[in-house]
Amino acid sequence: MLTPINCRRNNVLEVNHIDVFHDDLQALWDVSMTIAAGEIVSLVGSNGAGKSTLMQAICGVSKPRAGSILFDGARIDRLAPHRVVEKGICMVPEGRRLFPRMSILENLEVGASVKTARKTRRETLDWVYEVFPVLKARSGQRAGTLSGGEQQMLAIGRALMSRPRLLLIDEMSLGLSPVAAQSIAGVVREVNAPRMLTILLVEQDVQLALTLAQRGYVIENGRIVGMGPAAALLCSEEIKEAYLGMGSAQR
Amino acid sequence: MSAVIQALLIGIVVGALYSLVALGFGLIMGVMRFVNIAHGSFIIIGGYIAYWLFTLWGIDPYLSIPAVMVCMFVMGLLLYRLALAPLLKYPRAEMRMDKSLLITFGVTWVLDNAVTLVWTPDTRSVITPYSGSTIGIFGARLGLVGLTGLVIAVLITVFLHLLLTRTYFGKHVRAATEDSGAASLSGVNVQRTYLISCGIAAALGGVAGVVIVSSYSVAPSGGLNWLLIAMVVIVLAGEGNITAILPAGLILGVLQSMSTLVVSPAYQQPISLIVFILVLLLRPNGLFAHGGMDDR
Repeated sequence: MLTPINCRRNNVLEVNHIDVFHDDLQALWDVSMTIAAGEIVSLVGSNGAGKSTLMQAICGVSKPRAGSILFDGARIDRLAPHRVVEKGICMVPEGRRLFPRMSILENLEVGASVKTARKTRRETLDWVYEVFPVLKARSGQRAGTLSGGEQQMLAIGRALMSRPRLLLIDEMSLGLSPVAAQSIAGVVREVNAPRMLTILLVEQDVQLALTLAQRGYVIENGRIVGMGPAAALLCSEEIKEAYLGMGSAQR
Repeated sequence: MSAVIQALLIGIVVGALYSLVALGFGLIMGVMRFVNIAHGSFIIIGGYIAYWLFTLWGIDPYLSIPAVMVCMFVMGLLLYRLALAPLLKYPRAEMRMDKSLLITFGVTWVLDNAVTLVWTPDTRSVITPYSGSTIGIFGARLGLVGLTGLVIAVLITVFLHLLLTRTYFGKHVRAATEDSGAASLSGVNVQRTYLISCGIAAALGGVAGVVIVSSYSVAPSGGLNWLLIAMVVIVLAGEGNITAILPAGLILGVLQSMSTLVVSPAYQQPISLIVFILVLLLRPNGLFAHGGMDDR
């Protein structure tokens, strides 16, 4: 099995042995995860494995019944989603979930709703426009009129407007063309490196997910079954077989 | 010809009142997907408060609007906390809508009977020194009270429009209207946005009540009639389309008023209901819905 790497750097996020239920159905079993400052971490797993549930638990949408989630050493697992955003965690939800009848600028402004972000709204907006020039060119247009790739850019831009220190991206390239997916991946690198923005991402394209990330977690049936440096995971037989369709036991 | 102008102008004045009646109802429906049956009672209570302020302290009804708004705002907060907030545990909007209909129907009974206890079942109205005065426009005569109501309706609509498009609170309201889950993930305190929207909606109902008590009259059971008007206007405007409420109210008012030229005034209510059914059948998204993207 994959060997866990010894990570003694300062962890921004610590997920400790959480159990999460959807009504009476258990979706996560004893899940633990740590993310260090400035890292890109990928969460890999098949559909229904619990990737989105873990993201939602971190954001405060689903409450764990057992275990704890710490951000900068403080517990966040009892907070409402908007309070989690205030703490510095923001998620780009699966399916973008923009406000289609509001303009691009208004979508971004809603992203800067928390107090800390309001103060720096203008600078953040300039930065987001710099990262995504297409959004600036169309700032007055309704969000619903954008193409899929542009919508994902806006969704990421909206999340960046809250000045997060940890950015979660659920299903980063779902429904995007390969070109758009590559450009989004480029942006993820661009916001990660110079700004030290920590990123946790869920991406169906495991190859892309693990080339982008420094570390990865593998989740199956609601349990973490492996973790390690992304490069090592990419080479591991289990991953090749299960997700890349090029293992030795190819059917 | 002068009869037509007269009917048109009366229609505009009445229509402005209709949109005022519908604004608060439409706000709650658009933002939270709650049907607030008690909105009619809120209107009536607003009217009674203005009536009290007038008879007890001699305060002019139009000057009492701020006080009425404050009282009704608090009532709106109470309605949200006690009756509507518990419904948010239902995940689907349709379920919330059904449940809110029943709950606010119950609230209507409680409020209407409380109003009967406090103010007796008698019909009340406010008669000011200027109540009978009229102004001539294009050879037609219009009541001063009604015109003031028109001005107030326009001012309130403009105010609401600016609130929704220019302020953080307004953007939060619209974001929560479109996707409350995504709004909360973006850092919007959705519960608080709902709470304050409810207060504003009730305050708007109170303003409508003030206009009604000074140009018509209020009675404890009168709320449901005004609620019906509000529903017709909302269907004309299209659900969640708050800026279309003023034109929709004007259209209904003018239509009703013009109909009196052809048929007996007794048919005014059936006419508004026929409009209601026709619009639901032919343009279920309202008269002002844009094509494509907006209809999702």
